[in-house]
This record gives sequence, structure tokens and C-alpha cells, in this order.
Amino acid sequence: MATVEYRNIAKNFGHVEVMKDVSFGIADREFVVLLGPSGCGKTTLLRMTAGLESVTNGDLLIGDRRVNDVHPRDRDIAMVFQNYALYPTMKVFDNIGFSLEVAKVPKAEIRKKVEWAAEILNLTPYLGRYPKELSGGQRQRVAMGRAMVRNAAVFLFDEPLSNLDAKLRTHMRVEIRQLHNRLGTTTIYVTHDQIEAMTMADKIVLMHAGRIMQIGTPDEVYERPNSKYVADFIGSPSMNFIAGAVETAGGSPHFVAEGVSIGLSPEIKAKPGQKVIMGVRPHDLGISDAGEIKGEVVLSETTGADVQIHLRVAGYDAVAVVPRDERRNAGAAINLSVLPGKVHLFDAATELRVA
Amino acid sequence: MNGSFSTRMLRTIAAWVVVAVFFFPIYYWTSVAFKHGNDIFNRPPKLIAFTPTFDNFQKVFGISLGSGGITVTPGGGNFYMAPRVWDSIVIATLSTVLAVAIATLAAYALSRMNFRGRHSFVGWVLSTRMMPPVAVAVPMFFIYKNFGLIDTYTGMVLIHALMNLPLAVLLMKSFFDDIPSEIDESAIVDGASRFMIFRRIVLPMAKGGIAATAVLCFIFSWTEFLFALTLTTTSVKTVPVVSSTFVTSIGTAWGNMAALGAASIIPAFIFILLVQKHLVRGLTMGSLKQ
Ligand SMILES: Nc1ncnc2c1ncn2[C@@H]1O[C@H](COP(=O)(O)OP(=O)(O)O)[C@@H](O)[C@H]1O
Ligand SMILES: [Mg+2]
Repeated sequence: MATVEYRNIAKNFGHVEVMKDVSFGIADREFVVLLGPSGCGKTTLLRMTAGLESVTNGDLLIGDRRVNDVHPRDRDIAMVFQNYALYPTMKVFDNIGFSLEVAKVPKAEIRKKVEWAAEILNLTPYLGRYPKELSGGQRQRVAMGRAMVRNAAVFLFDEPLSNLDAKLRTHMRVEIRQLHNRLGTTTIYVTHDQIEAMTMADKIVLMHAGRIMQIGTPDEVYERPNSKYVADFIGSPSMNFIAGAVETAGGSPHFVAEGVSIGLSPEIKAKPGQKVIMGVRPHDLGISDAGEIKGEVVLSETTGADVQIHLRVAGYDAVAVVPRDERRNAGAAINLSVLPGKVHLFDAATELRVA
Repeated sequence: MNGSFSTRMLRTIAAWVVVAVFFFPIYYWTSVAFKHGNDIFNRPPKLIAFTPTFDNFQKVFGISLGSGGITVTPGGGNFYMAPRVWDSIVIATLSTVLAVAIATLAAYALSRMNFRGRHSFVGWVLSTRMMPPVAVAVPMFFIYKNFGLIDTYTGMVLIHALMNLPLAVLLMKSFFDDIPSEIDESAIVDGASRFMIFRRIVLPMAKGGIAATAVLCFIFSWTEFLFALTLTTTSVKTVPVVSSTFVTSIGTAWGNMAALGAASIIPAFIFILLVQKHLVRGLTMGSLKQ
């Protein structure tokens, strides 16, 4: 078992800087999700951790050892690649056992370990097959099996579920998380899917354009996003934003925009007159006749238990998610209120959180 | 197969027409090998209705069809060419093995490793084939003479392997380039050494590419004329070179030439049959997501 630490990591490809000053730590047994849009550097960071890509600047520590210049095989890591990268000419058994074979582990022990992994991953009936004779989900599990048998200190997963269908993805999400609970191996899991991140992570590291935007538990990232970018990225449907300013009305601070005025909590840090962007999650909007937000329903979408109501509010588009029995028809006028304490304010210029 | 009956029919007919166009010269040449001298020049040509004879093969290969079945009497005669076929087989096989072995290693390095001038390397390799071979025939002759390689198997194997290397390297490189580097990297993380990755993982995946390259190398060596002519004298001679000896001062022995030509298809054909089961497509099937 091991900790991982990134200290001021930077990465250039030739003259192109793709990562700058990335610092964070991962505790032993922690399940950390690197989350961010495509091209933000998640794979690059993972490959640097594995030793497949050099670190341009900074220190990378696994355990207490600086591993910048350590060969991948000596880093005690196991990696599941974005495209699985199974060995197509080897059967499942040999695919899973290859690392042990390379390490000259006795045959009987290889068999024991491969069968152990196959048992956990429900691959026992397929050990004699070639990868091309497996379904996508089975291939994915073979790739996991390859990592499991190695007793590595750190698991690295690069978008392992991105090509599976929705149902299988949900299923594998649970399986991977259960596997982690069972083995307790420190895990770095890369994904661009915020739902995967929210459901699986002990800790989310949200990246954007080669920088870390926020580090926190799923709850922290969801409830106190430290910038508009994070607020927008996390949550589905996305947060509603309205640009306006903080003003004092009747002795207490209010958020004011065209046609909208919402009371804020008195301990707000924003100065009166400060230009801000208000964010409210669709789930934090409720229909109430006394609501401060007046809008018109454009479209109602039923997603199952909930209804997503798309509205026009004073020149802005917004979405509210309400229980299905509160559905409204298109064209209806509607009053909404923000649930107490669910207003997020970001500075208009820096887009950083002010409350 | 889909489409209506008539499109399927048309497709089949088109396929057979193409096959016929390619097959006709072979048939014609083979039929000449079985003809008596006067039938060969008949106009219109006798494509089917001629009295077959084995004389041409008898002269070229020492095979005769007597009352006691087939008998082989080697030796004798200016047109006795059986040993030349053997020379061709030895040279083509060994030069193919040599070229493919070197090309595979070189191509893997070019495809996977980072070294100075890697990108211009392929251009340099290819440039050796941009020069007409005849331009180097004379220098080659002197080099070979000094090294005592004239008229030897070693010499012919080397020159044919050398001629084949550029294309073989290029071809193998494109096959290796098609193998995702994640597969190598996965093995690196698994702890395998470069050589082990090459031998255990990449090579088995590149089998189809190796087979294709081998076929091309073999056919090149099998049909190469210029160096086989200039770098040999008497003891080692390949089929293309000796084919020209049927053209004599008293006329061309078409029947014998055809017999040698028709027979020389067989070893190449066998070689291709042997490797073609490896000419499979989809070399990374199942390794990746979808
Ligand atoms: N080998 C490379 N050479 C040059 N640029 C690269 C290379 N690999 C990745 N990049 C660039 O680095 C950035 C991050 O890529 P990547 O880590 O693959 O993103 P992600 O996995 O988050 O989608 C991208 O802008 C990409 O174009
Ligand atoms: Mg990626």
C-alpha cells in the first residue's frame, strides 16, 4: 500500500506546456478521481505516474520515494489503459498472468492468482478464450484482472468504462468500487464523466487545461464549488447562472439582476455594488407562488421521478428540476424560489466563489 | 453476400472474368510446355486440341514418361535445369529469411524507439531503392569479386536480401505502427523487457505482416534477373538467368523455356500457400475496446 504525492508537477510536450504546477497528495487506500474535460491532461498525469511519460518539472513521490526517474516496472503500479490494450494473441489466462510470468513466479502460484482474480471478476469460464472472443465488459474485466494479480501499491485507471453501454457502466462502477473496498489498493481513476466521479470518489481532483481547479470530496465539490468553472462542470443538469450585482436593499444584501431580486444571507462576503454571477442548481429551485423568480415555461421533460422544466427568466434560460406531479405546460407562467442557503455567488471578473 | 439474384450473378461472372484474364497467360505458357515444336507456332494457336508431349520436361528436368511410369534421369544436356531450380529455391528462401529477420527488427525499432534522425531514417532507407539497380551492377561486381562472393549462394542471398530490405523495412514498419503503443506500454508496466515485448507480444501480432513481407521478398528474389546474371558465372544460377540460355544461335527453344517457366511457378506457389494462412487481417482484434 502506498501514498502518492505530486509536487509542482509540470509537463511540456516539446514547447507546448500542457500542465503547470500541479500539486496534491493521495492518502494510502484512497480512491481519487481525476476529473476534467477531454484534453485537460488527465491521461498525461496518469502516464507520468506510471512512468510512461517523463516529468518535465517537479517531484513525483510514490510511498516516500521520488520516482521521477524510476522505470515503470519498479514503481509498483498497475495500470488499466483507456483502450484496455489486452494482448490479442494470448488467452485470457495468459493476459492476466503475464506480469507474473515476467516476474518468474512459479507456475502453480500464477495459476492460483489468476484463478483468484478470475473468480472475483466472474471471468472463470472465459480463461481459455482469446480477447477477441469476449464482450466489451468482459475485456474491461480482463484488463482489471491484469492489474489485480500484481499486488501493486497503486492502481491507475484511465477512463475504463467510457466505451461500455450505460447499463454496464453503472454495473461496473459498483464493481470497481466494491473491488476497491475489498483490496484497499490506493487508486487513481481518470474520467471525464462527473457522475462516475461523484459516485466513486473518496476525493475528486477537478482539472481544467492542465491545472487543478478544485480538490475535495464529492460533497464539497458539489456543495461548495470554488469557482464558476467547477460549479458548471459538476452536476446534471448544469447549474443556472445569472449575472448581476450585490446591492443592499432594506438593510440586507440582495442579489439583483434584470427582473430578479433575491435576498442573501447577512454574513455574505461580497461588497455592495460588486458585480457577481449567481449560480443555482436546478434541484435547488422550487415552485412556489411567493417565489422571487418569475419565468415562463418553455419545455417540460420527464426523466422519470423528476421533471426538468426549461424556462425563460428575464432574458436568461434556466432549468428547474421538480417532482413529476408539479409538471407545468409550455407557456405557463411560473414562480420559483431558491431553497435556503443554496445560492452560489461568483465574482464576475475572477469567477471565483464569494459566497 | 447481399443484393438480388442478378447482382450476385453479375458479381460472380465479373470475378470469373478477372480470374480468367490473369490465368490465361499461365495456361497458355503451360500448354506451350506440353506442345511439340510445330504446334507451338500454329495459327490460330491450338489452345486445347494438341497432342501433348513430355519431351520438353524430359530435356529440362530429366524426367521421362516410359512404360514403367515416371523415371528420373538426372544430368546431361545443355538444357538440363533441375539444379538451377534448386539454386533459385535456396537463394529465394534464405534471402527472404535474412531480409525479413533484419527488416522486422529494424522496423520495430523505427516504429517504437526514439533516436536522433528517426524521421529521416525511413527516407534514407527508401532512397537506396530510388537508384536504378543497373547503376550499381558494375561496382557491385567489383566488390563481390574482391570479397570472393561471385558465383556463391552467400553472395546471391546477400544481394537479394539487400535489395529487399528497404521495402521490407517500410512494410513491416507500417504493420508495427498499426499495433497500438498502449499494448507495448501495458507490457512495460507489467515488467517485460523490450526484447520480451518484441518476442512475446509484438511479433505474434505482426505475423500477418511478416507473412506478407516474406511473400513479396520471395517473389522478388525468385524473379530477379540483373544481379543474378552479373554476379554469377557457372556454379550458381537462378531460373530467370538460365531461362535466357534457351535463346541460342540456332533459335529459341520455346518449348523448353516454357517447361522451365511453368515448373518454376510451383515452388513459389508452394511458398505462398505455406505462408498465406498467416495472411490474416485484423491483427489487433480483441485487444482494444471496440
Ligand atoms: N504525446 C503528445 N504530444 C503532444 N501533445 C500531447 C501528447 N499527449 C497529449 N498531448 C496534449 O496534452 C493535452 C492533454 O492530453 P491528455 O492528457 O490526453 O488529456 P485527457 O486525457 O484529459 O483527455 C492535450 O492538449 C493533448 O493534445
Ligand atoms: Mg485521456
